[in-house]
Amino acid sequence: MARVEDTTSLASAEAEVSRDAARRLDVIFRSGAGIFSILLLLVAWEAFARSGKVTAFMLPPFSAVAQRIYADAIGGELWVNLGVTMFRALTGFVIAAIGGVALGAMMSRNKFVRWFFDPIISVGFPMPKIAFLPIIILWLGVYDVSKISVVVVDAIFPVVTATLAGLAGVERALIWSGRNMGASERELMWQVALPAALPQILTGLQVALPIALILAIIAEMAMGGYGLGGAMMSASRFADSRGVFAGIVEIAIVGYVLIKAMALTRRRLLVWHEEASHH
Amino acid sequence: MQALLRAGLRYLPLVLLAAAWEAVARFNLVDTSALPPLSKVASAWIDLIRAGELIDNGKVSLYRGSLGLLLAIFGGGGLGLLMARWRLFDIFVNPLVELFYPLPKSALIPVTVLWLGFGDGSKILLIFLGCMIPVTIGAYNGARGSDHALVWSASSMGANRVRMMWDVIVPSALPELLNGIRTALALAFILLVSSELIVSQQGFGYLIGYLGSTGSYEGMYAVVLTVAFLGFAADRVYQLFIEWLLAWRE
Amino acid sequence: MAAGMDRQSQIVIEGVNHTYRPPRGRPVLALSDVSLQVQPREFLALLGPSGCGKSTLLYLVGGFLPIEAGRIAVKDKAVTAPGPDRGIVFQHFALFPWKTVRANVLYGLERQGMPRAERERRAQAFIDMVGLSGFEDSYPSQLSGGMKQRAAIARTLAFDPDILLMDEPFGALDAQTRALMQTELLNIWNRTPKTVIFVTHDVQEAVYLAQRIAVMSARPGRIKAVIENKVNHRDPGVTRSKEFVEKVDEIWNLVREEAIKAEAKKPSG
Repeated sequence: MARVEDTTSLASAEAEVSRDAARRLDVIFRSGAGIFSILLLLVAWEAFARSGKVTAFMLPPFSAVAQRIYADAIGGELWVNLGVTMFRALTGFVIAAIGGVALGAMMSRNKFVRWFFDPIISVGFPMPKIAFLPIIILWLGVYDVSKISVVVVDAIFPVVTATLAGLAGVERALIWSGRNMGASERELMWQVALPAALPQILTGLQVALPIALILAIIAEMAMGGYGLGGAMMSASRFADSRGVFAGIVEIAIVGYVLIKAMALTRRRLLVWHEEASHH
Repeated sequence: MQALLRAGLRYLPLVLLAAAWEAVARFNLVDTSALPPLSKVASAWIDLIRAGELIDNGKVSLYRGSLGLLLAIFGGGGLGLLMARWRLFDIFVNPLVELFYPLPKSALIPVTVLWLGFGDGSKILLIFLGCMIPVTIGAYNGARGSDHALVWSASSMGANRVRMMWDVIVPSALPELLNGIRTALALAFILLVSSELIVSQQGFGYLIGYLGSTGSYEGMYAVVLTVAFLGFAADRVYQLFIEWLLAWRE
Repeated sequence: MAAGMDRQSQIVIEGVNHTYRPPRGRPVLALSDVSLQVQPREFLALLGPSGCGKSTLLYLVGGFLPIEAGRIAVKDKAVTAPGPDRGIVFQHFALFPWKTVRANVLYGLERQGMPRAERERRAQAFIDMVGLSGFEDSYPSQLSGGMKQRAAIARTLAFDPDILLMDEPFGALDAQTRALMQTELLNIWNRTPKTVIFVTHDVQEAVYLAQRIAVMSARPGRIKAVIENKVNHRDPGVTRSKEFVEKVDEIWNLVREEAIKAEAKKPSG
């Protein structure tokens, strides 16, 4: 969206247009280069796999892997596994998102809550919380609950820290304006502070989503059963290298789609933000 | 003294939680098999040290983790710097990095096992591959951000490419690079613990699984807490190191 | 000042001290024994060098900062909290960036529970008054500085505060836009007269806009002098008139020594 000036000048309007064109070209070029590189990688993969320098076991050709993915898709296994993994990852993510923002908001409002959770967050953040999976299994059994719980435990941290940082960074004048216009403390939190902190909160969510996916997959690998992670681990145990590589490709695609979806959501939600008007 | 008191107050909630844990377990408020008292966990920890199990498995894990991480740091750092300095290289490799960046690195666990089996090799390869990406990105962004003016004035003073690398680019790239390494450090712990939990015959993760399967829950808790604490401590020590390094450079 | 004056004044500030307590470092006395009275519907400028505490005083009147020592009363009631009777306009606009211009202006009216049709009508009226017709659905990030400030002014005027507190509102604008906005503000004030406390460090701006000018000393701020300003604000050529130039001179002489003192107090480097 072009900036509206009190006094528009032809020169600056022209500059704006050519800058837009340059930006568009740059995007096209970069995604073109991206697609080109991926194609190059796939070709290299296929060539290397067929070259005889590695066995088909070590590196099955991409064509074979693609066939396998196709077969799984037709047969339905792909969708079952995908659905199960996505269910666990996304449920955990949503719980972590809501819980994380709520906890961050409470910590920002209440000094005692802040004091109590602060060391838990700062000590817990760098811990490999996956190590707690056996304990969670001990408490909650071997079902989805455990998998989702371990996702929540890991994904909630970036959301809390981002919410705290976002709320702390809200311009004082915004809060004061809200108070000036008669907003109550609750209205201030919901109508002024949280929207103002939204960009940073979204960043936290964008960090949490891939974490949720990673943890769901690890939990599945550790506990077996259905899911992309579980399927890959079985394939590995049965020396089914095509299955393993198929899994990598599938998970890569899922990861990519999720990240892109989050980025798009961010742009939609932040259409008002400074960063949007500077594209 | 005042700083000590402040630190104490800051971490007091953890002490309270520990006390609550002990109380809840001792008064049988929950099933004690699932939540052994903290005191019993502590004594199990001591037993594991005495028996040597904790140390032996710890050594294996630390070996795997450190080697994998070091390889990732040098490999990733080098790659990132190369990408930042040679435009053509960048154009080809950048989309690949962007492609592998969103890949959940845990997806590499089965394939490393497929290739190298259950032992050290697969773990080291896993950590190397997984942790290289954040280091590469950190090095790349850091080197890209190198103040152009600095680079130009160095080259006008006759610095050749290598010199430039060392004296100008690496120092100004340092903060971003160090940040990338910090991410890689945390990721290394995650990948190490995960892969050992899932499939291993040695190491912390294996020990946790073993103790769990034989019902020695106090021991299991002890090792879990040890690993968690090590992850935390590694990050803190690393942060101190960064502070020291950046201060020393000034 | 006799006690009788108190009852006529709209705003009474008496013996106010304020200490600024940074999270790290020593507390600093920002205001020292400040006393001032503001009449209903008068345009008062609060003028002083940077750091003299003029904005702090404004925030105290607005109820945004707690009053630790002294007394501030608006219409005989002590100030304890912010409220829609004292509308504030900030230097950096403080518009809600996620809301459109219209939504921003509507916010205060919604808080007051005004019925929908009435508040939409009222919001539109003020948007038109400040010259932003056509930009109701724009976001602040799409507006220039001058337009943002107009939106901020519309937002504050819309909920009809008796008192307008303006904290260097044109400080973030370029010189031309600033001059335009000053004239606009005068026009708006003439149409809907309110009590205005206008904080600025620009002597010309103060003489152009205000009927009385309170000059503050360097930190810790106190009221050094209060000067009547009888220039003809309605004269479009007023800035060239003899009285204007003399008044600016008079005020500047008062401010200059404080400005030098303030400069000396600044940490070096």
